[in-house]
Amino acid sequence: MDETDITFFKDGLRLDGRRADQLRPVKIEVGVLARADGSCYIEMGGNKVIAAVYGPREVHPRHLQEVSRAIVRYRYNMASFSVEERKRPGPDRRSYELSKVSREALEPVILTSFFPRSVIDVFVEVLQADAGTRTAGINAAAVALADAGIPMKSMISSCAAGKVADTIVLDPMKEEDNFGQADLPIAMTPNGDITLMQMDGGLTPDEFRRAVEMAMKGARDIYEIQRQALVNKYSQLTDPGHVEAVVQ
Amino acid sequence: MTNVISEIKKDFIYNLLLKGERADGRTFDQYREISIQRDVIRKAEGSALVKLGSSQVLVGVKMQPGEPFPDSPNRGVIITNAELVPLASPSFEPGPPNEVGIELARLVDRGVRESKAVDLEALCIVPGKQVWIVFIDVHILDDCGNILDAASLGAISALLCTKVPASKFGLGEDYILPIRDLPIATSAIEFNDVLMFDPGVDEEAIANTKLTIISTIEGNICGTQKSGTGMLKPEQVYRIIDIACEKAKEIREKFLEA
Amino acid sequence: MDRKVVVPGDLLSEDAKRSGEGTYIRNGSVYSLLYGLANFRDKINVIPLAGKYVPGPGDNVIGVVKDITFSNWIVDINSPYDGLLHISEFPKRIESDDMSKYLRIGSSIMTRVKDVDPTMKVELTLNDRKLGQIKAGQVIDISHTRVPRLIGKGGSMISMLKKELNCNIFVGQNGRIWIHGGAEDMDLALKTIALIEREAHTNGLTDRVVGFLKTEKGARS
Repeated sequence: MDETDITFFKDGLRLDGRRADQLRPVKIEVGVLARADGSCYIEMGGNKVIAAVYGPREVHPRHLQEVSRAIVRYRYNMASFSVEERKRPGPDRRSYELSKVSREALEPVILTSFFPRSVIDVFVEVLQADAGTRTAGINAAAVALADAGIPMKSMISSCAAGKVADTIVLDPMKEEDNFGQADLPIAMTPNGDITLMQMDGGLTPDEFRRAVEMAMKGARDIYEIQRQALVNKYSQLTDPGHVEAVVQ
Repeated sequence: MTNVISEIKKDFIYNLLLKGERADGRTFDQYREISIQRDVIRKAEGSALVKLGSSQVLVGVKMQPGEPFPDSPNRGVIITNAELVPLASPSFEPGPPNEVGIELARLVDRGVRESKAVDLEALCIVPGKQVWIVFIDVHILDDCGNILDAASLGAISALLCTKVPASKFGLGEDYILPIRDLPIATSAIEFNDVLMFDPGVDEEAIANTKLTIISTIEGNICGTQKSGTGMLKPEQVYRIIDIACEKAKEIREKFLEA
Repeated sequence: MDRKVVVPGDLLSEDAKRSGEGTYIRNGSVYSLLYGLANFRDKINVIPLAGKYVPGPGDNVIGVVKDITFSNWIVDINSPYDGLLHISEFPKRIESDDMSKYLRIGSSIMTRVKDVDPTMKVELTLNDRKLGQIKAGQVIDISHTRVPRLIGKGGSMISMLKKELNCNIFVGQNGRIWIHGGAEDMDLALKTIALIEREAHTNGLTDRVVGFLKTEKGARS
């Protein structure tokens, strides 16, 4: 199938009824796993992703230890049933690459020097995939890291922009990703420091700029949802009647 | 294993950088000398040895008929691999490709694929049954920095001289693989808000952010990758893009279109 | 007291001098390093809601022997870093061959962090009358982030508990608590510590604990 076979817009709206600059619905839950030190479940449109953080803990094998800081490991994994055609279980080249860039998206804000010779493990499981799994994974992982009490300079939020039918769109869904003209995922701090940037497809330099700006706006909106989810978990932790401080 | 760089060396590079200089005397957006030798491997359908300063990368292309993927029955297949063999650097280890090697291969692949440099439909032999498989194999021989740009340049150079081995498989006469675009990868590192293109191995070791831009003949962008554990401001990204597209144009005109 | 739930990167103050624990300074402003509760006094401190115990010199901790080498007991102290108890830090002079006669793998000890080097090599000691092997009572685990509340300001909470509960209590900074007393007293102690852990980050905690103890004891007699 070619991109020309699909109509991406109807009456100015996308296949799922969104405007070009609109995110899919995002739902975030904090602390969903009992064994992990921190965890998060996220739904971004049709994506269902769970992230767990273990550590800082001892490094095995020991030769991976760094004397002056913690190492960060990130494992992005797709469940075999998460996609239309069964995916062969275990890591493939795509997941190695995504694990690397996702780790590099989070590491800039983690205070690894606080924990010499240890490891912070981040495990991301994609349970249901609908385009944008890496961004969903990073969003969940950032929340899970905070939930685990890991010191960080800031949160990280991630979102993609794409190009379909010559239009720049926010947060592409499956059809737009498969048959679109470009995909540009980014991750950033709330401050606008970019920690992940990938792109494939075709964009003019001007379109590239517009896509970056749109993805950054999406990431900012996701940051607010991440933040709210963390604040909400706190209010559930204690009997709200006892909390005298006002939660903003 | 990561490259450990001594504090003294780091200070040296950093102090130069404050003066607007680089250890080898280049300007911040200047590439090292590039040389490309094509058809260096007789047994390959296409090959190129790229030297970027002292970095050396050999890319070989092999082709053979095979089955298409079920979701693209009338398109040829491109498979890109990269070997970071231990002879190329004290930090490369034997064994299956690690994430650095995998990322490199996938970026070389991204440039060729997303620019649509190879007309995959022209590689269909019998729809749904038989198509040409193009294997692009990247061998890093000497890692003196920025092997990604060198590998990417090697891949398109090798493809440009690839002869489809039709007669070998009884499929008619050999012919030159048609190439429709010339994607060029250009990478810059960021260090204290200085952007340095074509980083050498020591420069790579002091920076923790690299941005690669792959651009097409039209001057459009067909692939991007930030790697490393640093951050970039959007303005820095746009600056890199502007310079990258210009550099890519120079390289393309000088080495590929001649 | 002004308190607020914060996440990493939240701006806390534009006055760098107010930077306290769990915060950092960027461009002269104070930001949170942690997800937790920010207390705004002269200094702003962020108390995390979770996290691993990182040993510091002088900390009392409860450990479990996990291995024995030629001259060290290797002790799990509920942290990314194991503690090393050298044979010379045992209160009496013993031979290397006899180490496992005194502390076996699996033995629990009340111990103290003697020193921590920059690479996080953690040295422990048993050289204090208050320290030693745990042979009776019960050890429970709470999050180490709740320990300051269990101890209270100037030790107020823990002294009150020891008196009211009629139990021996040893609080490990690593979140392990040893309790020893009569069966009923220990039972109540467990319930009370659970209450403190659950409500550690609320105001008026001491009053509620006092009230809780009063009700429970009233029900008993």
